[in-house]
Amino acid sequence: MHKLSLHTIALSVATLCSSGLAIAQESAKVVDKPLTLTVHLHDKKFTYDSNWPVEKEAARLTGISLKDVTIGNTPDSNEAFNLMIASGNLPDIVGGKAVKRNLNRYGPEGAFIPLQDLIKEHAPNIYAQMQARPQVFNSAKAGDGNLYYVPYLTDGKYGRGYFMRTDWLDKLGLKVPQNIDELYTVLTAFRNEDPNGNGKKDEIPAFFRNWQEVLRLVTFWDGRTSGSDTYHDFHVKDGKIKHGYAGAGYKLGMKNIAKWYKEGLIDPEVFTRGSRAREFLLANDLGGFTHDWFASTASYNDSLKDKVKGFKLEAIIPPASISGVRMEEHRRIPIKPEGWGISYSNKHPIESIKYMDFWWSEEGRRLANFGIEGKQYNLVDGKAIFTKEFLENARPVNSQLTDIGAQVRRGFWQDYNYEIQWTNKFALEGIKLYDQGDYLVDQFLGVAFNEKEQATSDKYWSGIQTYMLEKQQSWVLATSDVDADWDNYLVQLDKLGFNKVLTAMQSAYDRQYGK
Amino acid sequence: MQNIQQYTSRIMRHIRAEWQLYLLLAPTIIWFIVFLYVPMYGLQIAFKDYSIFKGVAASPWVGLEHFYTLFESEQFMRAIKNTLILSGYNLLFGFPMPIILALGFNEFTKAFFKRTAQTVVYLPHFISTVIIAGIVMSVFSPSVGVVNLLLVQMGFDSVYFLVQPEWFRPIFIGTGIWQEAGFTSIVFLAAIAGVNPSLYESALVDGANRWQMMWRITLPSILPTIIIMLIIRIGNILEVGFELIILLYQPSTYETADVISTYVYRQGLQNAQYDLAAAAGFFNAVVAFVLVLTANTISKRVTKTSLW
Repeated sequence: MHKLSLHTIALSVATLCSSGLAIAQESAKVVDKPLTLTVHLHDKKFTYDSNWPVEKEAARLTGISLKDVTIGNTPDSNEAFNLMIASGNLPDIVGGKAVKRNLNRYGPEGAFIPLQDLIKEHAPNIYAQMQARPQVFNSAKAGDGNLYYVPYLTDGKYGRGYFMRTDWLDKLGLKVPQNIDELYTVLTAFRNEDPNGNGKKDEIPAFFRNWQEVLRLVTFWDGRTSGSDTYHDFHVKDGKIKHGYAGAGYKLGMKNIAKWYKEGLIDPEVFTRGSRAREFLLANDLGGFTHDWFASTASYNDSLKDKVKGFKLEAIIPPASISGVRMEEHRRIPIKPEGWGISYSNKHPIESIKYMDFWWSEEGRRLANFGIEGKQYNLVDGKAIFTKEFLENARPVNSQLTDIGAQVRRGFWQDYNYEIQWTNKFALEGIKLYDQGDYLVDQFLGVAFNEKEQATSDKYWSGIQTYMLEKQQSWVLATSDVDADWDNYLVQLDKLGFNKVLTAMQSAYDRQYGK
Repeated sequence: MQNIQQYTSRIMRHIRAEWQLYLLLAPTIIWFIVFLYVPMYGLQIAFKDYSIFKGVAASPWVGLEHFYTLFESEQFMRAIKNTLILSGYNLLFGFPMPIILALGFNEFTKAFFKRTAQTVVYLPHFISTVIIAGIVMSVFSPSVGVVNLLLVQMGFDSVYFLVQPEWFRPIFIGTGIWQEAGFTSIVFLAAIAGVNPSLYESALVDGANRWQMMWRITLPSILPTIIIMLIIRIGNILEVGFELIILLYQPSTYETADVISTYVYRQGLQNAQYDLAAAAGFFNAVVAFVLVLTANTISKRVTKTSLW
């Protein structure tokens, strides 16, 4: 009898446990009683909107709704953040663009709370990612070693690629250039042999929407320009922090870029033509070669189909450099300096981190990426597939998604499948082409300075960069000669504190990523 | 003691008697206190390691460190030089233009023509700086710009004006004059309108021609206005058109185009180093103050006209 009852109790306890577990798995409820937290989430184009359908759905599922208190009367996220923090009133959750720099600056001062322990205890979904990709999460940490924000992780590898008017190649009887010498020949032919056939020598062989992209050409001479998706950034080579603009390949590259520029192979107005360069030069049948984003660049094959006869702008694999290396320096960075954190004045940190974790669960991630089931997408074999009406709407898909509150910069994990479904077939072909080789290089995810290193960087870096860019342009424009300047350039860089900044970067890097 | 009491009661009586005047004065005084004197409290961040989160009072003092940082930097020194040169040219070429314009308008006799001409020269003032920069960029563009099309027509090579340091100053100052000369001339036109007509009538009787009247009557009569405008202008000498420079300059033209405010923008605001930016702004203000004092004193001695 006694034995039996014990058995019964054990059984009933087990049943209770398992049913409790089942409930926990089914429901994303964080709180029983509805809870409202305030949020500051700023982006150039929008601020957090409590009426977003995605936000409402999340509130229904979790029981937590966010009330928008973003200071939004500026397009600049930094400015919005500064206004918010200067007011002394911190919302419970702070997120959006420019979060890394600000939270990692004011977190150590006490404005935001460290999240790593909270995540470990209360946020299994985020924690799983943290375990799977430690380096990525390390890069989000502040100088004091704490994690102050749940980052926005991007998905997908390819950003920019090299594009060429392959119909021009056919017309001139040329082949896709496989190395730097062939590229030179092709561009010279674009310049001299009138591929657009209007009888005028008005072709602009190589053009770039962002003038910084012209520098990317130095990779053909084994130089580097940046280690991340930010221009002029540092890169890492064999565990050492380096800067491309002080490397040997860079010197040779600049010399040749100046030569190309002088010969008219590069857009003479590359520094001032601005963001409309691509649209203008392609639509007027003038531009031949560029380095730009896959999806948007490939889309001209559709939009210019009727306007420019025979128009074919195809991705080509990176031509080999002088030493035979094919490199695509740009790629999507796996982690953005965006996301959200919890402020010190938040009275519900545990609920908040659980709420943040919801967005990393399967259900939450789908909500953040695709919108609402039955409206924007349907589940087909467990995969979210956008509805036809949604994809065929005249408004671009990504704008439609932000309209409803999906794909906004909360701390979430992007799913590249959302993008593939509306990427143009030419872009997909290009991406496939790049996927066949191994052209991408490792990304430098940035370092978190301690106070002393930060002071060094603040003091010197801006002056150094100014000087680097100044010399760079003067070399391209041939107002001075890179060979003659080079030794003095290095001396000058050192004088401006370049080596001090490198040392500070290195010590921060070693601390953060381990030796 | 009694003296002071007497004095205060006299002031109180005076205020009671003239309270309407003081009431009218009040908004201006309040404006000055709220928007100019209270913010001066924040000037101390130039001497502090400022954190927005900690606030002005709680941030630690660092003495003159930010000033050392600034003056150790060759780029800051270059920025000072460029600021002075740009302002100097601006004063030299930009200041006389509105006076010449005003004198010119004054000589028009047909009202319709005068009004049309005035409207035409006022107009650029109302265009936003961003648009102005856009206009400048397209006018000076090497491929489609009017200037270069003309140059090529005349047999010269086209010039990429906007990336050449030697062209930045003329373009910037020319643009400034084009945009503001017309509107600034209003002040001088108003001064000219205030000249006593009997002076011109008696000059006519004496057989003076228009040229002589302009030199002997109009100019001397508006001289006080000119001097006051000049002193104000000198006070603002370190404030060059920041937005226009930001929009027009390129790394390759930093050599001539980088001024204190653009330097502060890059160094200070983009990196959220408000303390450093405040130090540069403080330096700016001190120099401007000294310049105004000097200009005022010289003017007082030479022309007997002064701000105070």
